[in-house]
Amino acid sequence: MALYDNLPLQKNTSVSSLPEVKDPEKVYSDISRQDYENYLSNFRDFEERLISAKDDTSLIEQSREDALKQSQIARGVQQRNVERYGGAGLSAVQQQEQQRAMQRGTQLNLAGNLNTALIQQREVNQRTLADLINIGQGVNRNALQGLGEASSMAANRAAAYNNAKAQHKSNMIGLGGSLAGAALAFFSI
Amino acid sequence: MSSKPKKQEYQASEQEKVSAAVSKAEKEYFDQTYGPLLREMRDLSEREDLGGLARGAAQADTMQALSSRPSLAAARSVDQAADLASAASAQQLQGSAQALGAQRERQIGVLGTARGQAADAQAGLARAAKIQSTKQLEAARAKQMVRQAKFNAAEQIGSALIAQGRKNLDSYGQASEQADTGGFFNRFFTPYTPAQTQSTPSKGGRSG
Repeated sequence: MALYDNLPLQKNTSVSSLPEVKDPEKVYSDISRQDYENYLSNFRDFEERLISAKDDTSLIEQSREDALKQSQIARGVQQRNVERYGGAGLSAVQQQEQQRAMQRGTQLNLAGNLNTALIQQREVNQRTLADLINIGQGVNRNALQGLGEASSMAANRAAAYNNAKAQHKSNMIGLGGSLAGAALAFFSI
Repeated sequence: MSSKPKKQEYQASEQEKVSAAVSKAEKEYFDQTYGPLLREMRDLSEREDLGGLARGAAQADTMQALSSRPSLAAARSVDQAADLASAASAQQLQGSAQALGAQRERQIGVLGTARGQAADAQAGLARAAKIQSTKQLEAARAKQMVRQAKFNAAEQIGSALIAQGRKNLDSYGQASEQADTGGFFNRFFTPYTPAQTQSTPSKGGRSG
C-alpha cells in the first residue's frame, strides 16, 4: 500500500473529470517531440557508453589481478596450515619445493586465467555487439521509414502543385481558344 | 444551391473528445509512472555491482570446498596451495564473466526499451507531419477548386456576353441603314428595337 501512496498518480477516477484536449494535433506533435527529446537527454549518453562497451577489457584486466591475489591467499592458507601442524615435519628442501611449486602454479594460473578471460571477454563483447546490431537495425528501419514518409509527402505536395499549374495552364489555353473563336466569329459578321 | 457549411457540423464528436482526453491522461500517467522506472533501471544497470556479488559467492564456495578442513596431508602437500589458487582464480573469472554478461543483458534491455519508445516518438512525429501535410494539400486543393469555379463562372459569363453581344449586333444588321443606331458599345449591349429608331432621329440629325 505504501508503495502506491508514494507514486505521483493522477487522482482522476472518472472520464468526465479529464481535461478536454482542445487541439489534438498540437498535443500529439508536442508529445512526440518531447518524447524524442527525453530519449536524447536520458538515454543517448547511456547508449554511447554501451556501444563503447563492445571493446570492454575488464574481465581480462580483472583476471590478472585475480590470479596474483588468489596465489597470495593460497600461500597464506598453506602457511597457516603448516604452522597449525608445527611445521608439519617438512624439511628445508620440501619447504623450498613447496615455494617453487607455488611460483610455478602462480605463473601457470596467470597464463591459463588470461586465456580463459580472453575467450569469455570475447563472448560477452560479441553478444553485446550482436544485440546492439539488432537494436541498430530497428533504428535504421525506423529512420528509413520516416524518410520515406517525408519523401512521399514532398512528392504529394509537388504533384499537387504541378497539377494546379497544369490546370491553370489548361484554363488559360481554353480561355485563349474561346477568345480566339469568339473573335473569329465576331469578325466574320 | 446548398447553404454555407457551419463550423459546428465539423466539430469533434463526443467519442472523439473522450478518446483524446483518455489518451492524453494515459500518456501523462505513463510519463509520470513508467518513465522514471526505466531511468531507474538504466542507473541500476550501470551502477549495481553484480560482479562483486558473483565473485564473493564464487570465493566463498571455493574456500568452503577446498580449505574448510585443514589436514596434515594438505599441509605437507607440495602442490595443494597452487591447486587452491588455480581453482579460486578460475571461479573468480567465472563469477566475473557471468556478472558482466548479466549486466550487459540488462543494459541492452534498457536500451532496447528506450529505443522502442524513441521509435514510437519518431513514428508519431512522422504521423503528425503527415496529418499537417494532408491538411495543407486539402487546403491547396480547396483553393484550387474555388479558383477553378471562379474561372469557369467568368468564362461562362464572358461567353454569354459575347454571344448576346453578337446577337445584338446581328439585330442591327437587319435594321434600316438610315437609322441612327449609336456607337459600337451601344449596339453591342442593346438589341435593336424599331422604337429605338423612332426615338433617336433628332440625335444624329442624319434623317434631316
